[in-house]
Amino acid sequence: MKVAGSYSLPAPPERAYELLQDPDVLAKCIPGCEGLDRVAEDEYAMRMKMGIASISGRFDGKVRISEKTPPVSFRMSVEGAGKIGFMKGDGVITLSAADSGSNVQFEGDVQVGGTIANVGQRLIETTAKMIIKRFFDCMSQRANE
Amino acid sequence: MIPQTFEYSAPATLAEALHLIDGDRKLLAGGMSLIPLMKLRLAQPGHLVDLGRVPGLNSIEAAGGKIRVGAMATHHDVETSPVVRASCPLLGETVGSIGDPQVRHRGTIGGSIAHADPAADYPAALLALEAQIRVVAAHRERMIAAEDFFMDAFTTPLEPDEIVVEVLAPIEDSKEGYRYEKVAHPASGFAVVGIAVRIKKSGGKIAMARIGVTGLGSHAFRARNAEALLEGGAGIDAAAAVVGEGIDANSDLYASAEYRLHLARVHAARALRTALSRAE
Repeated sequence: MKVAGSYSLPAPPERAYELLQDPDVLAKCIPGCEGLDRVAEDEYAMRMKMGIASISGRFDGKVRISEKTPPVSFRMSVEGAGKIGFMKGDGVITLSAADSGSNVQFEGDVQVGGTIANVGQRLIETTAKMIIKRFFDCMSQRANE
Repeated sequence: MIPQTFEYSAPATLAEALHLIDGDRKLLAGGMSLIPLMKLRLAQPGHLVDLGRVPGLNSIEAAGGKIRVGAMATHHDVETSPVVRASCPLLGETVGSIGDPQVRHRGTIGGSIAHADPAADYPAALLALEAQIRVVAAHRERMIAAEDFFMDAFTTPLEPDEIVVEVLAPIEDSKEGYRYEKVAHPASGFAVVGIAVRIKKSGGKIAMARIGVTGLGSHAFRARNAEALLEGGAGIDAAAAVVGEGIDANSDLYASAEYRLHLARVHAARALRTALSRAE
Protein backbone atom coordinates (compact mmCIF):
# COMPACT_ATOMS: atom_id res chain seq x y z
CA MET A 1 0.00 0.00 0.00
CA LYS A 2 1.40 3.37 -1.03
CA VAL A 3 1.29 6.22 1.40
CA ALA A 4 2.23 9.79 0.66
CA GLY A 5 1.60 13.14 2.18
CA SER A 6 3.03 16.44 3.15
CA TYR A 7 3.16 18.30 6.42
CA SER A 8 4.63 21.56 7.50
CA LEU A 9 6.87 21.88 10.51
CA PRO A 10 7.51 25.22 12.21
CA ALA A 11 11.30 24.92 11.98
CA PRO A 12 13.84 25.50 9.23
CA PRO A 13 14.83 22.38 7.23
CA GLU A 14 18.18 21.99 9.06
CA ARG A 15 16.43 21.79 12.43
CA ALA A 16 13.55 19.65 11.09
CA TYR A 17 16.06 17.25 9.59
CA GLU A 18 17.70 16.84 12.99
CA LEU A 19 14.41 16.49 14.85
CA LEU A 20 13.14 13.79 12.53
CA GLN A 21 16.21 11.70 13.27
CA ASP A 22 16.64 12.44 16.94
CA PRO A 23 16.04 9.16 18.81
CA ASP A 24 14.60 10.95 21.86
CA VAL A 25 12.12 12.83 19.72
CA LEU A 26 11.30 9.74 17.66
CA ALA A 27 10.64 7.76 20.84
CA LYS A 28 8.15 10.41 21.94
CA CYS A 29 6.52 10.93 18.56
CA ILE A 30 6.15 7.44 17.12
CA PRO A 31 2.64 6.63 18.37
CA GLY A 32 2.71 3.86 20.97
CA CYS A 33 6.51 3.76 21.19
CA GLU A 34 7.56 2.46 24.59
CA GLY A 35 11.28 2.43 24.05
CA LEU A 36 13.89 3.04 21.43
CA ASP A 37 17.40 1.63 21.94
CA ARG A 38 20.30 2.33 19.70
CA VAL A 39 21.72 -0.92 18.29
CA ALA A 40 24.00 0.52 15.60
CA GLU A 41 24.65 3.78 13.81
CA ASP A 42 21.21 5.01 12.68
CA GLU A 43 19.54 1.80 13.74
CA TYR A 44 17.27 1.37 16.76
CA ALA A 45 15.36 -1.46 18.37
CA MET A 46 11.85 -0.39 19.24
CA ARG A 47 9.08 -1.62 21.50
CA MET A 48 5.62 -0.45 20.63
CA LYS A 49 2.19 -0.82 22.06
CA MET A 50 -0.53 0.00 19.59
CA GLY A 51 -4.03 0.61 20.75
CA ILE A 52 -6.71 1.51 18.24
CA ALA A 53 -10.36 0.96 18.97
CA SER A 54 -10.42 -2.12 21.20
CA ILE A 55 -7.49 -3.63 19.40
CA SER A 56 -4.24 -3.53 21.21
CA GLY A 57 -1.03 -5.36 20.74
CA ARG A 58 2.64 -5.17 21.43
CA PHE A 59 5.15 -5.04 18.65
CA ASP A 60 8.89 -5.48 18.67
CA GLY A 61 10.61 -3.89 15.80
CA LYS A 62 13.26 -1.59 14.54
CA VAL A 63 13.76 1.80 13.00
CA ARG A 64 16.50 2.41 10.48
CA ILE A 65 17.60 5.63 8.88
CA SER A 66 19.56 5.55 5.64
CA GLU A 67 20.36 7.46 2.44
CA LYS A 68 21.05 10.55 4.47
CA THR A 69 21.40 13.78 2.48
CA PRO A 70 21.24 16.56 5.08
CA PRO A 71 19.21 18.67 5.20
CA VAL A 72 17.25 17.59 2.17
CA SER A 73 16.19 13.99 2.45
CA PHE A 74 16.60 10.60 4.11
CA ARG A 75 14.96 7.22 4.10
CA MET A 76 13.26 5.84 7.16
CA SER A 77 12.30 2.20 7.58
CA VAL A 78 10.11 1.03 10.42
CA GLU A 79 9.12 -2.56 11.04
CA GLY A 80 7.46 -4.43 13.82
CA ALA A 81 5.95 -7.80 14.56
CA GLY A 82 3.75 -9.03 17.34
CA LYS A 83 1.07 -11.60 18.12
CA ILE A 84 -1.63 -9.85 16.15
CA GLY A 85 0.34 -9.27 12.97
CA PHE A 86 3.25 -7.46 11.49
CA MET A 87 3.85 -4.15 9.76
CA LYS A 88 6.62 -2.78 7.66
CA GLY A 89 6.95 0.75 6.41
CA ASP A 90 9.59 2.30 4.28
CA GLY A 91 9.64 5.78 2.87
CA VAL A 92 11.66 8.74 1.73
CA ILE A 93 11.25 11.98 3.61
CA THR A 94 12.10 15.16 1.72
CA LEU A 95 12.41 18.57 3.32
CA SER A 96 12.21 21.97 1.75
CA ALA A 97 12.13 25.49 3.10
CA ALA A 98 8.75 27.14 3.39
CA ASP A 99 7.42 30.41 4.81
CA SER A 100 6.23 28.68 7.95
CA GLY A 101 9.50 26.79 8.45
CA SER A 102 9.75 23.70 6.36
CA ASN A 103 7.64 21.49 4.25
CA VAL A 104 8.07 17.78 4.82
CA GLN A 105 7.00 15.39 2.13
CA PHE A 106 6.98 11.67 2.48
CA GLU A 107 6.36 8.95 0.04
CA GLY A 108 6.53 5.31 0.90
CA ASP A 109 5.09 1.90 1.11
CA VAL A 110 3.38 0.23 4.07
CA GLN A 111 2.73 -3.48 4.39
CA VAL A 112 0.57 -4.99 7.07
CA GLY A 113 0.08 -8.72 7.51
CA GLY A 114 -1.22 -11.34 9.88
CA THR A 115 -4.61 -11.50 11.62
CA ILE A 116 -4.91 -7.76 11.81
CA ALA A 117 -4.63 -7.41 8.04
CA ASN A 118 -7.00 -10.29 7.33
CA VAL A 119 -9.84 -8.83 9.31
CA GLY A 120 -8.99 -5.16 9.27
CA GLN A 121 -8.41 -4.57 5.57
CA ARG A 122 -11.26 -2.08 5.40
CA LEU A 123 -9.48 0.17 7.87
CA ILE A 124 -5.77 -0.27 7.40
CA GLU A 125 -5.20 2.69 5.14
CA THR A 126 -7.31 5.03 7.25
CA THR A 127 -5.47 3.91 10.35
CA ALA A 128 -2.03 4.17 8.74
CA LYS A 129 -2.79 7.75 7.70
CA MET A 130 -3.98 8.57 11.19
CA ILE A 131 -0.81 7.20 12.78
CA ILE A 132 1.40 9.12 10.35
CA LYS A 133 -0.57 12.28 11.04
CA ARG A 134 -0.13 11.81 14.81
CA PHE A 135 3.59 11.40 14.28
CA PHE A 136 3.86 14.68 12.38
CA ASP A 137 1.53 16.54 14.75
CA CYS A 138 3.85 15.53 17.57
CA MET A 139 6.90 16.54 15.54
CA SER A 140 5.34 19.90 14.92
CA GLN A 141 4.90 20.41 18.67
CA ARG A 142 8.49 19.43 19.32
CA ALA A 143 9.66 21.88 16.68
CA ASN A 144 7.87 24.62 18.56
CA GLU A 145 9.66 23.86 21.80
CA MET B 1 -12.15 -18.13 17.79
CA ILE B 2 -11.82 -18.51 21.54
CA PRO B 3 -11.00 -15.35 23.45
CA GLN B 4 -8.24 -14.97 25.98
CA THR B 5 -9.52 -15.50 29.52
CA PHE B 6 -10.96 -12.41 31.13
CA GLU B 7 -12.78 -11.32 34.26
CA TYR B 8 -16.43 -10.44 33.86
CA SER B 9 -18.57 -8.07 35.90
CA ALA B 10 -22.21 -7.24 35.34
CA PRO B 11 -22.94 -4.26 37.60
CA ALA B 12 -26.56 -3.67 38.56
CA THR B 13 -26.31 0.10 38.78
CA LEU B 14 -24.56 2.87 36.87
CA ALA B 15 -22.71 3.94 40.02
CA GLU B 16 -21.30 0.46 40.37
CA ALA B 17 -20.29 0.40 36.71
CA LEU B 18 -18.53 3.76 37.08
CA HIS B 19 -16.71 2.42 40.09
CA LEU B 20 -15.56 -0.66 38.17
CA ILE B 21 -14.06 0.92 35.07
CA ASP B 22 -10.42 1.80 34.88
CA GLY B 23 -7.22 0.73 33.20
CA ASP B 24 -7.35 -2.64 31.53
CA ARG B 25 -11.13 -2.86 31.92
CA LYS B 26 -13.32 -2.53 28.92
CA LEU B 27 -17.01 -1.69 28.76
CA LEU B 28 -19.24 -4.17 26.98
CA ALA B 29 -22.43 -2.83 25.40
CA GLY B 30 -23.91 -4.95 22.59
CA GLY B 31 -20.55 -6.51 21.79
CA MET B 32 -21.01 -6.28 18.03
CA SER B 33 -17.48 -4.93 17.53
CA LEU B 34 -15.72 -5.94 20.71
CA ILE B 35 -16.67 -9.63 20.88
CA PRO B 36 -15.46 -10.51 17.35
CA LEU B 37 -12.19 -8.72 18.07
CA MET B 38 -11.82 -10.67 21.30
CA LYS B 39 -12.54 -13.96 19.55
CA LEU B 40 -9.77 -13.17 17.07
CA ARG B 41 -7.61 -12.18 20.03
CA LEU B 42 -7.03 -8.81 18.47
CA ALA B 43 -8.53 -7.36 21.63
CA GLN B 44 -7.56 -8.96 24.92
CA PRO B 45 -9.09 -6.94 27.72
CA GLY B 46 -8.35 -8.37 31.13
CA HIS B 47 -11.76 -7.45 32.51
CA LEU B 48 -15.13 -6.78 30.89
CA VAL B 49 -17.74 -4.61 32.54
CA ASP B 50 -21.08 -5.48 30.97
CA LEU B 51 -23.58 -2.61 30.91
CA GLY B 52 -26.42 -4.92 29.87
CA ARG B 53 -27.93 -5.16 33.34
CA VAL B 54 -27.79 -1.51 34.28
CA PRO B 55 -31.44 -0.44 34.39
CA GLY B 56 -32.73 2.63 32.59
CA LEU B 57 -29.93 2.94 30.08
CA ASN B 58 -32.09 1.89 27.15
CA SER B 59 -35.00 4.26 27.50
CA ILE B 60 -36.12 6.42 24.59
CA GLU B 61 -38.22 9.48 25.37
CA ALA B 62 -39.09 12.90 24.06
CA ALA B 63 -39.37 15.85 26.42
CA GLY B 64 -38.51 19.53 26.48
CA GLY B 65 -37.93 19.77 22.75
CA LYS B 66 -35.40 16.96 22.79
CA ILE B 67 -35.40 13.29 22.17
CA ARG B 68 -33.22 11.31 24.58
CA VAL B 69 -31.96 7.92 23.53
CA GLY B 70 -30.31 5.83 26.24
CA ALA B 71 -26.87 4.51 25.37
CA MET B 72 -27.94 0.87 25.66
CA ALA B 73 -30.92 1.25 23.33
CA THR B 74 -30.36 -1.25 20.53
CA HIS B 75 -30.56 -0.25 16.90
CA HIS B 76 -33.78 -2.27 16.77
CA ASP B 77 -35.19 -0.33 19.76
CA VAL B 78 -34.46 2.94 17.97
CA GLU B 79 -35.71 1.73 14.60
CA THR B 80 -39.06 0.58 15.98
CA SER B 81 -39.57 3.28 18.61
CA PRO B 82 -42.80 5.26 18.05
CA VAL B 83 -41.10 8.21 19.77
CA VAL B 84 -38.25 8.17 17.26
CA ARG B 85 -40.62 7.73 14.37
CA ALA B 86 -42.69 10.72 15.47
CA SER B 87 -39.94 13.04 16.70
CA CYS B 88 -36.71 12.12 15.00
CA PRO B 89 -37.38 10.16 11.81
CA LEU B 90 -33.86 10.74 10.43
CA LEU B 91 -32.49 8.68 13.31
CA GLY B 92 -34.97 5.87 12.64
CA GLU B 93 -34.19 5.83 8.95
CA THR B 94 -30.46 5.71 9.63
CA VAL B 95 -30.48 2.85 12.11
CA GLY B 96 -32.65 0.77 9.82
CA SER B 97 -29.69 0.49 7.48
CA ILE B 98 -27.14 -0.70 10.07
CA GLY B 99 -25.77 -4.21 9.56
CA ASP B 100 -28.39 -6.97 9.56
CA PRO B 101 -31.31 -7.80 11.89
CA GLN B 102 -29.08 -9.79 14.23
CA VAL B 103 -26.67 -6.87 14.62
CA ARG B 104 -29.56 -4.44 15.05
CA HIS B 105 -31.00 -6.51 17.87
CA ARG B 106 -27.72 -6.57 19.81
CA GLY B 107 -25.79 -3.45 18.81
CA THR B 108 -26.42 -0.25 20.76
CA ILE B 109 -26.19 3.45 20.02
CA GLY B 110 -23.74 4.03 22.88
CA GLY B 111 -21.50 1.16 21.84
CA SER B 112 -21.48 2.25 18.23
CA ILE B 113 -20.53 5.84 18.90
CA ALA B 114 -17.98 5.04 21.60
CA HIS B 115 -16.28 2.64 19.18
CA ALA B 116 -16.29 5.43 16.53
CA ASP B 117 -15.79 3.31 13.46
CA PRO B 118 -15.15 5.76 10.60
CA ALA B 119 -17.76 3.95 8.49
CA ALA B 120 -20.49 3.59 11.14
CA ASP B 121 -23.93 4.97 10.23
CA TYR B 122 -24.93 6.71 13.45
CA PRO B 123 -22.31 9.48 13.33
CA ALA B 124 -23.64 10.89 10.05
CA ALA B 125 -27.15 11.22 11.50
CA LEU B 126 -25.94 12.61 14.83
CA LEU B 127 -23.93 15.29 13.02
CA ALA B 128 -26.86 16.26 10.81
CA LEU B 129 -29.05 16.40 13.92
CA GLU B 130 -26.47 18.44 15.85
CA ALA B 131 -26.91 15.91 18.63
CA GLN B 132 -25.27 16.06 22.04
CA ILE B 133 -23.74 13.10 23.83
CA ARG B 134 -24.05 12.91 27.60
CA VAL B 135 -21.11 11.29 29.28
CA VAL B 136 -20.66 10.57 32.98
CA ALA B 137 -17.79 9.61 35.24
CA ALA B 138 -17.87 8.87 38.96
CA HIS B 139 -17.91 12.51 40.09
CA ARG B 140 -18.61 14.52 36.99
CA GLU B 141 -20.57 14.60 33.78
CA ARG B 142 -20.44 16.53 30.55
CA MET B 143 -22.20 17.04 27.25
CA ILE B 144 -20.18 16.66 24.10
CA ALA B 145 -21.44 17.95 20.75
CA ALA B 146 -21.45 15.27 18.05
CA GLU B 147 -19.10 17.39 15.99
CA ASP B 148 -16.50 17.32 18.78
CA PHE B 149 -17.09 13.66 19.54
CA PHE B 150 -15.97 11.99 16.31
CA MET B 151 -12.38 13.17 16.33
CA ASP B 152 -10.67 10.59 14.18
CA ALA B 153 -10.90 6.91 13.30
CA PHE B 154 -11.83 5.12 16.56
CA THR B 155 -10.93 8.27 18.44
CA THR B 156 -13.30 10.18 20.72
CA PRO B 157 -12.74 12.59 23.60
CA LEU B 158 -13.95 9.91 26.06
CA GLU B 159 -11.71 9.48 29.08
CA PRO B 160 -11.07 5.93 30.34
CA ASP B 161 -13.32 6.49 33.36
CA GLU B 162 -16.26 7.87 31.37
CA ILE B 163 -19.40 6.14 30.15
CA VAL B 164 -21.71 7.38 27.39
CA VAL B 165 -25.16 7.39 28.96
CA GLU B 166 -27.42 9.02 26.41
CA VAL B 167 -27.71 10.84 23.13
CA LEU B 168 -29.85 13.98 22.91
CA ALA B 169 -31.15 15.28 19.63
CA PRO B 170 -33.56 18.12 18.95
CA ILE B 171 -37.06 17.03 18.02
CA GLU B 172 -37.28 17.49 14.27
CA ASP B 173 -39.75 20.02 12.99
CA SER B 174 -42.49 18.05 11.21
CA LYS B 175 -42.06 20.29 8.16
CA GLU B 176 -38.42 19.37 7.94
CA GLY B 177 -37.21 17.03 5.21
CA TYR B 178 -34.68 14.33 5.98
CA ARG B 179 -32.89 11.45 4.32
CA TYR B 180 -30.13 8.94 4.99
CA GLU B 181 -28.56 7.62 1.80
CA LYS B 182 -26.06 4.84 2.11
CA VAL B 183 -23.91 2.65 -0.08
CA ALA B 184 -23.45 -0.44 2.05
CA HIS B 185 -20.38 -2.60 1.75
CA PRO B 186 -21.73 -5.93 0.47
CA ALA B 187 -19.86 -8.04 3.02
CA SER B 188 -19.67 -5.96 6.18
CA GLY B 189 -22.77 -3.81 5.76
CA PHE B 190 -20.73 -0.80 6.86
CA ALA B 191 -21.16 2.43 4.91
CA VAL B 192 -18.80 2.77 1.97
CA VAL B 193 -20.31 6.22 2.16
CA GLY B 194 -23.35 7.38 4.08
CA ILE B 195 -25.01 10.80 3.86
CA ALA B 196 -27.54 12.09 6.40
CA VAL B 197 -29.43 15.23 5.45
CA ARG B 198 -31.91 17.59 7.10
CA ILE B 199 -33.52 20.45 5.24
CA LYS B 200 -35.91 23.22 6.20
CA LYS B 201 -37.70 25.24 3.56
CA SER B 202 -38.97 28.76 3.79
CA GLY B 203 -40.74 30.57 0.96
CA GLY B 204 -39.66 27.94 -1.57
CA LYS B 205 -36.00 28.31 -0.61
CA ILE B 206 -33.75 26.19 1.54
CA ALA B 207 -33.52 27.98 4.88
CA MET B 208 -31.43 25.37 6.64
CA ALA B 209 -29.37 22.42 5.51
CA ARG B 210 -27.40 19.95 7.62
CA ILE B 211 -25.29 17.27 5.98
CA GLY B 212 -23.46 14.55 7.90
CA VAL B 213 -21.05 12.36 5.96
CA THR B 214 -19.66 9.01 7.09
CA GLY B 215 -17.37 6.46 5.45
CA LEU B 216 -15.58 9.00 3.30
CA GLY B 217 -12.90 10.33 5.64
CA SER B 218 -11.07 9.15 8.73
CA HIS B 219 -14.09 10.23 10.77
CA ALA B 220 -17.62 11.39 10.10
CA PHE B 221 -17.91 15.11 9.42
CA ARG B 222 -20.36 17.83 8.48
CA ALA B 223 -20.19 19.06 4.91
CA ARG B 224 -20.39 22.68 5.98
CA ASN B 225 -19.27 24.02 2.61
CA ALA B 226 -22.21 22.31 0.90
CA GLU B 227 -24.60 23.44 3.66
CA ALA B 228 -23.51 27.05 3.17
CA LEU B 229 -24.00 26.85 -0.59
CA LEU B 230 -27.54 25.49 -0.17
CA GLU B 231 -28.44 28.13 2.39
CA GLY B 232 -27.02 30.73 0.03
CA GLY B 233 -29.39 29.67 -2.71
CA ALA B 234 -27.21 27.32 -4.75
CA GLY B 235 -28.72 24.28 -6.43
CA ILE B 236 -28.49 20.74 -5.14
CA ASP B 237 -26.01 19.60 -7.77
CA ALA B 238 -23.68 22.53 -7.15
CA ALA B 239 -23.79 21.87 -3.40
CA ALA B 240 -23.34 18.11 -3.69
CA ALA B 241 -20.31 18.67 -5.92
CA VAL B 242 -18.33 20.21 -3.04
CA VAL B 243 -19.05 17.46 -0.50
CA GLY B 244 -15.73 16.03 0.66
CA GLU B 245 -13.65 18.91 -0.68
CA GLY B 246 -10.38 19.02 1.24
CA ILE B 247 -10.97 15.58 2.77
CA ASP B 248 -8.37 12.88 2.44
CA ALA B 249 -10.78 10.19 1.23
CA ASN B 250 -10.49 6.61 2.47
CA SER B 251 -9.46 3.89 0.14
CA ASP B 252 -9.57 0.10 0.42
CA LEU B 253 -9.84 -2.93 -1.84
CA TYR B 254 -13.53 -2.28 -2.41
CA ALA B 255 -13.50 1.42 -3.18
CA SER B 256 -10.65 3.73 -4.14
CA ALA B 257 -10.54 7.26 -2.76
CA GLU B 258 -11.63 8.70 -6.10
CA TYR B 259 -14.59 6.32 -6.40
CA ARG B 260 -15.63 6.96 -2.80
CA LEU B 261 -15.61 10.68 -3.32
CA HIS B 262 -17.72 10.24 -6.45
CA LEU B 263 -20.17 8.02 -4.56
CA ALA B 264 -20.40 10.57 -1.76
CA ARG B 265 -21.32 13.37 -4.16
CA VAL B 266 -23.84 11.35 -6.15
CA HIS B 267 -25.50 10.14 -2.97
CA ALA B 268 -25.40 13.56 -1.36
CA ALA B 269 -27.39 14.87 -4.34
CA ARG B 270 -29.88 11.99 -3.99
CA ALA B 271 -30.23 12.51 -0.25
CA LEU B 272 -30.79 16.24 -0.74
CA ARG B 273 -33.43 15.67 -3.41
CA THR B 274 -35.36 13.22 -1.25
CA ALA B 275 -35.09 15.46 1.80
CA LEU B 276 -36.28 18.44 -0.20
CA SER B 277 -39.26 16.53 -1.55
CA ARG B 278 -40.18 15.57 2.02
CA ALA B 279 -39.88 19.11 3.36
CA GLU B 280 -42.96 21.29 3.47
